[in-house]
Amino acid sequence: MEPLLRTINLSKSFGTLSAVQGVSLEVYPGEVVGLAGVSGSGKSALSMVLAGFYAPNEGDIYFEGRRLRCPFQARALGIEVIHQKPDLAEHLDISSNVFLGSEIGWPALKWLKVPNRRRMDQETARVLEQLDVRFSSLREKVANLSSEQRQMIAIARAMIRPAKLIIIDDPTLLLGYSYQQKLLSLIQNWQQRGTAVIFSSNNLDHLLAVTDRIIILRQGRQVAEHRTDEAHREEIVAAMVGTTDRQQLTPIIWALDSYYRAREQAEKLRHSQILLERNLVAQDALNRQLIDQLAEQINALDSANAALQDAQRRLLTELEQERKHLAREIHDQVIQDLLSVNYQLEEVGADESVTSALKDELTDIRNSIRMLVDDLRHICGNLRPPTIDSLGLGAALQSYTHDWARRTGIAVNLDLDANLGRLPEAIELSIFRIVQEGLSNVRKHAQASAVWVSLKHTSPRTLMLSIADNGRGLAENFDLAALSAEGHYGLLGISERVALLGGRLKLQNQDGGGLLIQAEIQHPRVAETDGGE
Amino acid sequence: MFPPTEVRFWRGIWRLLLGRHEIVVLVLLLVIGTFLSLRTDTFLTWNNLSNISRAFSWIAIAAFGESMTIIIGGIDLSVGAVMALAGLITARSLEADLPVPFAVAAGLLTGGLVGWVNGTLVGRVGLPPFIVTLGTMSIARGITFGLTGGWPVRNLPPGFRLLGQQDLLLGSLSLPLPFLIMLGLAVLVNLLMGQTVLGNYIYTLANSERALLTSGVNVVQIKTLVYTLCGVLTAMGGLLMTARLGVAAPMAAIGYELDIIAAAVIGGTSLFGGEGSVLGVLLGAAVMLMLRNGLVLLGLSAYWQTAVMGTMILAFILLDHWRRQIR
Repeated sequence: MEPLLRTINLSKSFGTLSAVQGVSLEVYPGEVVGLAGVSGSGKSALSMVLAGFYAPNEGDIYFEGRRLRCPFQARALGIEVIHQKPDLAEHLDISSNVFLGSEIGWPALKWLKVPNRRRMDQETARVLEQLDVRFSSLREKVANLSSEQRQMIAIARAMIRPAKLIIIDDPTLLLGYSYQQKLLSLIQNWQQRGTAVIFSSNNLDHLLAVTDRIIILRQGRQVAEHRTDEAHREEIVAAMVGTTDRQQLTPIIWALDSYYRAREQAEKLRHSQILLERNLVAQDALNRQLIDQLAEQINALDSANAALQDAQRRLLTELEQERKHLAREIHDQVIQDLLSVNYQLEEVGADESVTSALKDELTDIRNSIRMLVDDLRHICGNLRPPTIDSLGLGAALQSYTHDWARRTGIAVNLDLDANLGRLPEAIELSIFRIVQEGLSNVRKHAQASAVWVSLKHTSPRTLMLSIADNGRGLAENFDLAALSAEGHYGLLGISERVALLGGRLKLQNQDGGGLLIQAEIQHPRVAETDGGE
Repeated sequence: MFPPTEVRFWRGIWRLLLGRHEIVVLVLLLVIGTFLSLRTDTFLTWNNLSNISRAFSWIAIAAFGESMTIIIGGIDLSVGAVMALAGLITARSLEADLPVPFAVAAGLLTGGLVGWVNGTLVGRVGLPPFIVTLGTMSIARGITFGLTGGWPVRNLPPGFRLLGQQDLLLGSLSLPLPFLIMLGLAVLVNLLMGQTVLGNYIYTLANSERALLTSGVNVVQIKTLVYTLCGVLTAMGGLLMTARLGVAAPMAAIGYELDIIAAAVIGGTSLFGGEGSVLGVLLGAAVMLMLRNGLVLLGLSAYWQTAVMGTMILAFILLDHWRRQIR
């Protein structure tokens, strides 16, 4: 297939500072290519060159097989750009900005078109609704809006015309969490429509969630390229910072729940800063100080957490190893020994010299040995689900829940993704343990009569695990941290496991009563398997 | 603590006046008009007013073009010289027995060409407009001197002189043709600036050039187009002037760039770019011409007139500056 965009040996320098050096890349229709790199690695400069705003000092850009002469009019070719900071016409209103350069109007002459305000307003309202942005009036001048609102207008501008290539230069800095997610789902929409996307971002989570390929830049050079499915975070970060030293990497990669909470705090603070920014200049400086302090605290917290997480991960791995070992020991040794004792007893019982009274006793003993073996098998199963290694997570969950329902008398409805496939061992085990702990929590505290367990893909690289029951739910003044003080480790264990997988956990009471546990877990993309397996 | 009602009332009036610049100019126009009518016998005569309106027309037409260059954040100093050059080229064409429409077209084309050179150097090459147009001003003026050897071209055919000297009867009112042409152009330019996307881009250019660039609007083309349009409009003014005077003199329209810029600035065109209206420029040109005429009628020496004009320009730039600070 012909690449949509191809660059050959692209270089751009500003004075003596070279921002991009010899970058050659290809982008195909319907492909999402991520640009990763630390700040100052040349992501923005490369985006600008690709968008035709800076002419490269060296190298060529081909779009749809044609060589572009710089500076070219990107929009006329079907290239839309979303910048880090939105470039809007300050004194124009919202819909004029959204349609700037592509006004709807009559006659269809380039310059003498008379804009049709009503239709432009309608279209703008439609797109803004898609983006979940609301304004009191589309006649508001953009100079009066917050940076987040302005960035969303810039995104709306890129959506107004059908584009072949959309270049996104990390606009998420100005966006809150929900709009960041919105942008990610937009990228997936574009990809499905066959639009190519170049997505440069500082947020590795974002890149891993939506891209097909990730190109890593360091000091303006293209240092590595990974298919996202096969890439590991460590590899990417190592390429970004140019070191393989684990000590340096861990603080960058891993983050615990509390870290996310701190991030959220920073986010809120930043939002209020945007609000204050407009009227209070003095307050602004203070806020920035606060944010700086918060950022420092987060960094400190982060490195402390990294060490803690490392330790805990090791602990969990060793625990699983130990259990596996123990299970094998019991299964291979104790159970086999018991079975052979059983045979011996049977042989003894078969002897004709044995009285019938003794025979009955022997039968009793053999029955209790058989029950003992059954119990031991059950313990083995709990220590290491036998099916998980051979048949996978789905089978293990089915057999476990079935067994559990039989034992506890609580109905379990299991709903598995048809294309679950095989996941890495650590993830399969963790999910299995989370279900185990979740169910045992239901049995101990919920007083429920039914449980719904579902495991579904929300995107090719994200699994959503939910465990819902119809019991009494969480107490009103529920506090996760306080539970451990009371000696309840069930929910805490789940939250730790989810955090170690880099996922997100949500605990909430359902409308009809009962607790809903939702865990979103990211994993490497699995190969497509035939449905109904 | 609210200020007393009376203070608030006056503050409101003040704000209204400052907000609508056209009102400020209109009031100024009425004040000067009333003053001159009272102080002189000759001002308020049909003949004098009709004479003012002819000269006013060509200044206003050129000022429409000038205000467009100022709104995009530039300036055009070559307007006076272009008026003289366009008039001369037309006169020379008429001398060569070209029919009037072709001669007029040649004059307009000349203006457009100078404007295009200005626009290309400013827009495509990126030179500062002040220097570029100062250069083309000398070039255009030099060409007029060179072509004529310093002597004016006389004996223009009556078919051409009609353009500047004819009156049209509208009911009982007899209006000079240049004035009507000016009104027609005012409507056209107003439509262009107020209704079309081009007008929208022109107002946006000075303050948000990057937004236009990132939206894929060809900014270089807009700049070239605006300077070219300014050249054509200025040439139109030059033709009406030549037709009115009946002679194409190399010394004609010297110093008009000051009058034209003054008309635009007094009319509320902001030298910071992005603001200005056709109605304002029209009123500004009227104030200019009335002032010039009045100074003559009052018997003030012509030597002092430029000083008064310069003061006017500075006063209005100051007003614009203060208004920006209040906002």
